[in-house]
Amino acid sequence: MFAFIIRRILQAVVVMLVISLMGFAIKNNIGDPVRDLVGERVTPAERAKMADDMGLNDPFLIQYLRFIGHAVKGDLGRSFLYNKPNLEVISQHAPATIELLMGTALIIVLISLPLGVQSALQPKSKLARFTMSFSTLGISMPVFLTAILLIYVFAVHLQILPSFGRGETVDLFGNGYWNTGFLTRDGLEHLILPCLSLSSIMLPLFIRLIRSEMMEVLETEYIKYAWAKGLSPARVWMVHAFKNTLLPVVTVFGVQMGITFAFTILTELVFQWQGMGFMFLEAVQRADISLLIAYLVVVASVFVLVNTVVDIVYGFINPTVRIVGTR
Amino acid sequence: MKKKLQKFKESYFLYSFKRDKVAMTSFIVLVLFLIIALTAPWISPMDPYDDHNIDIMNSEIPPMWMDGGSSEFILGTDNMGRDMLSTMFYGLRTSIIIGLGAVSLQAVLGVVLGLTAGYMGAKTDAILMRIADIQFSFPYLMVAIFIGAMFQVVFGVGLYEQLAVPLLVIIIGVSNWPMFARTIRASVMGEKHKEYVEAARVIGLPRLTIMFRHVLPNSLTSVMVIFTIQVGSAVQSEAALSFLGLGMPVTRPSLGSLIRAGQEYIFSGSWWITIFPGLLLVIFVLVISLLGDWLRDVLNPKLYKG
Amino acid sequence: MKKLVLGLSFFLVLSFTVCAGAKTLKVGMDADPVSLDLHVQLSGAMLQLSHWAFDPLVRWTKEMTFEPRLATRWERMDDLTMRFFLRKGVKFHSGNPFTAKDVKWSFDRMKTSVDYKGLLDPFDGCYIVDDYTIDIKTKKPYALLLNMSTYFFAMDSKFYTGTDANGHPKDTILKIGESFALNNESGTGPFVVTKRQQGVVLEMERFKDYWDVKSPGNVTKFILTPIKENATRVAALLSGDVDFIYPVPPQDFARVHSDDRVKLVSVAGSRIITFQMNQNRVKALKDPRVRQAIVHAVNNVGIVEKIMKGTATVAAQQGPAGFAGYKSALKPRYDLKKAKALMKEAGFEKGFEITMMAPNNRYVNDAKIAEATAQMLGKINISVNLKTLPKAQYWNEFDAKAADMMMIGWHSDTEDSGNFSEYLVMCENKDTGMGQYNSGYCNPQIDGLIIAARSETNLDKRATMLQEIEQILYDDAAFVPYHWQNHSYGAKKNFQIEPIVNGMNFPYFGDLVVK
Repeated sequence: MFAFIIRRILQAVVVMLVISLMGFAIKNNIGDPVRDLVGERVTPAERAKMADDMGLNDPFLIQYLRFIGHAVKGDLGRSFLYNKPNLEVISQHAPATIELLMGTALIIVLISLPLGVQSALQPKSKLARFTMSFSTLGISMPVFLTAILLIYVFAVHLQILPSFGRGETVDLFGNGYWNTGFLTRDGLEHLILPCLSLSSIMLPLFIRLIRSEMMEVLETEYIKYAWAKGLSPARVWMVHAFKNTLLPVVTVFGVQMGITFAFTILTELVFQWQGMGFMFLEAVQRADISLLIAYLVVVASVFVLVNTVVDIVYGFINPTVRIVGTR
Repeated sequence: MKKKLQKFKESYFLYSFKRDKVAMTSFIVLVLFLIIALTAPWISPMDPYDDHNIDIMNSEIPPMWMDGGSSEFILGTDNMGRDMLSTMFYGLRTSIIIGLGAVSLQAVLGVVLGLTAGYMGAKTDAILMRIADIQFSFPYLMVAIFIGAMFQVVFGVGLYEQLAVPLLVIIIGVSNWPMFARTIRASVMGEKHKEYVEAARVIGLPRLTIMFRHVLPNSLTSVMVIFTIQVGSAVQSEAALSFLGLGMPVTRPSLGSLIRAGQEYIFSGSWWITIFPGLLLVIFVLVISLLGDWLRDVLNPKLYKG
Repeated sequence: MKKLVLGLSFFLVLSFTVCAGAKTLKVGMDADPVSLDLHVQLSGAMLQLSHWAFDPLVRWTKEMTFEPRLATRWERMDDLTMRFFLRKGVKFHSGNPFTAKDVKWSFDRMKTSVDYKGLLDPFDGCYIVDDYTIDIKTKKPYALLLNMSTYFFAMDSKFYTGTDANGHPKDTILKIGESFALNNESGTGPFVVTKRQQGVVLEMERFKDYWDVKSPGNVTKFILTPIKENATRVAALLSGDVDFIYPVPPQDFARVHSDDRVKLVSVAGSRIITFQMNQNRVKALKDPRVRQAIVHAVNNVGIVEKIMKGTATVAAQQGPAGFAGYKSALKPRYDLKKAKALMKEAGFEKGFEITMMAPNNRYVNDAKIAEATAQMLGKINISVNLKTLPKAQYWNEFDAKAADMMMIGWHSDTEDSGNFSEYLVMCENKDTGMGQYNSGYCNPQIDGLIIAARSETNLDKRATMLQEIEQILYDDAAFVPYHWQNHSYGAKKNFQIEPIVNGMNFPYFGDLVVK
């Protein structure tokens, strides 16, 4: 196991190197950050001088090595757009996205569990049919359209929910990094629409997954045996069937949250939600290449980390799955 | 050949299809859509790609049955003065081409890499799965920007309009292959220790033959199911890229870019620009995922038992 | 489902915060200032901030006349010198008193800023006469000295002198990196910055000791939130989450108009939108008949009506009515038949292919205008390959002159005709910086006129010269003119924004009355 972890860390380092190299390779195609720093009246000569001073004209390898040199010391450079160290910018935007994902996960759990179970137990009922057709509809709708329609109905027309932003936030640790919207009523209200629209992509999938897993479990010998024992329906369904449904659902849940993360970009754009996705788009549009590369490295390291942990945990839980390299 | 047809006719596959009204309807709608997409240039009232037909003064005309509507434009016009119906037909065509093309590419990449990773195991597996990690952590938006930039360096601006479709196919194809690869890898790993594979190895068949002739066919079920899911999501991805201004050029709109263009007009009352193509897209993705559901139910014997 | 409904109904009750006396203004705009240091960048958002937290010597009124601010009156001493008499009893946010020293200090600092260097080039310097009198001198006679004085904001020289906690001089102008002026301000303006998070929020409170006690403005707290997505910004106003938005996209005018809780205020602006035709890239464009054909094929009247929803003024020249160079005889030229005839005459009946680039987030509906143009040119058989890009990438392409036709919008820095020509039509000269935004048109005759007009102080003579320039450009079809963009603001009905918005897009929130 120890050898495995070491190997995985080495692999992770290679992954980071590749990603940062790719980031560096494309950076000149995203735009000229100097252009965004100055007004439109600054002469090309002045701009060229600024680019020189910023080291943007140095040979590729020198720039890259300089970046690696700083990165090793934990310094991922400074954002041109926000005028702060990249790591600080990212860690200030991350909580917003994490809270968005948490809210979304909560909505998914609260809605998909009862609906999925219900439609598995009574697949012919009206509610189940409605759930199934409605959830298919949800998966077919582009998420940005869902978001705009939600704003239109709940914010503009009914005026019961706010239309954009995070609302009133509380500084959780008093150091300006984690501003949470979970502790104020205003903040919670602001969370509803973005979370709903984000969950609309994943809800159908989970309702269907829970339904099919549950139906599958209900067919097993184990449940038939439970019936034969004369247990009450509630006990069979909830304790025996439901519990066994959960394990595969939880596994998929982890993977899907990763995919949901990619969709936060659209949701955050429409709701002007100041999270990582919004920051990423800003960085692309304003050619903040320094922040972009830092973003790539941070996101990649999180993904690699999560994958590694999952593999290790999986290896512990399920000894039949042999971890690569431990044979 | 005849025998095969006969066999198909008697198959459980066809039997269950005939019994399932939802699947039948979905299939008919899908075929209808494919016909529309194929014949768009002949059945559209006008050619939305021909500048001579477009007049900005005709913009935002409501559908025929509304006040201010005109019988010339059955579903009204978009913000540039194009006939909605024709533009939607052409858009559907573009979206279908991109969707099918991108997913085919994903499938080829994913199957080959997943099979290799799963069957070879060890170092090959580790390397390929790390590449998948890299791919996963690169948002497809990033891939789009990257390939788009490379493209411009190679071909210049002039060709963007003509080459946007293959470009998007590549972007969406390349950025989503890990989905296929992971699934194939998992099912291969489950498959490869079964007796028949061991047997094939014992009689000394080459690796490639074992992989493609013996292991792959047994993993195809999952490929088909993922295929249907991914077509829907590829069409959505294209719409999302258009939303961010990285999709089809505005002069050659896909359904996604039409929705994006129309979305700005929702508040102003010109709802038809976004709602009609939106409906078309929703129905398209809907029938594909319904067919996918049905396919999963039929091909997955575990579920059939009850 | 039930849980969802329950959850929603739980939030059905909305809380309204009503505070007597305190008037809060919540603003949603497409951009926020990048710094608190007004010399760090010359851009719309920075100038807006300058008018909120600082004051200039003079400022433009809505009617384009000069209004005394920190200068109470001014006098021309000779061809080169203007004397300004400064307001007494003005205080900075830090409490320091405002004197001539601050004006000179700010002027000198501005001259070192890369963004302002070019604009300040005609100036010789700023000379203190006494504590409340200064002379501003130019190198040559300069007709636009007063126009330029609208850029002379006073910074608190004492506050910005010395070194900060890190030992760096407080007056450093730094684009990237921590500088004192980035996060600290002391101006004389109506609002004091209380909180700023780049790209997220800018909060200000009314300055208690503000000198302009006659100002009717009663806003006590001012919160600016950047909202970049058009639809979201409009939704924020319609749902009541903000009180004031800019810009209102043309496609939403009808919606904002029809809502009885909010209103739409549109002010004629002076930003011209044009397409430039690169003669060096495409030979056909060297032929004035082809250029005329293109200008005649573009239905800019239709674009204003349909794409801009009437909130722009159709243009046939660079400067709008009211500018010295404006010539009322120059009319829009849309005429498809004539365009086709001209193409035939030039021998291009069968047309040709060109590339076109435009930004998609710089000007109002820029990408849509480009798309419509591509279709219009298709009608005279010029097939257009169009690419639209975000501005961060677009300017690079523009500098590289990467396409045959490129969109450029221009707002005159001096609110005067000459500025357009200097940047957009003069032959490109890397040394003088002239023609910096000219992609492929060059006419030495015009260059001569522009330079002569620059140092002409006889205003009538100068106007004649500027009008002649417009006429030549018109006859030569030097560029494709579209329109002058309006500035469109949306606000709640009880916010009396009409008097405080203007063509420069500097909403003077200090004077805003909220009922």
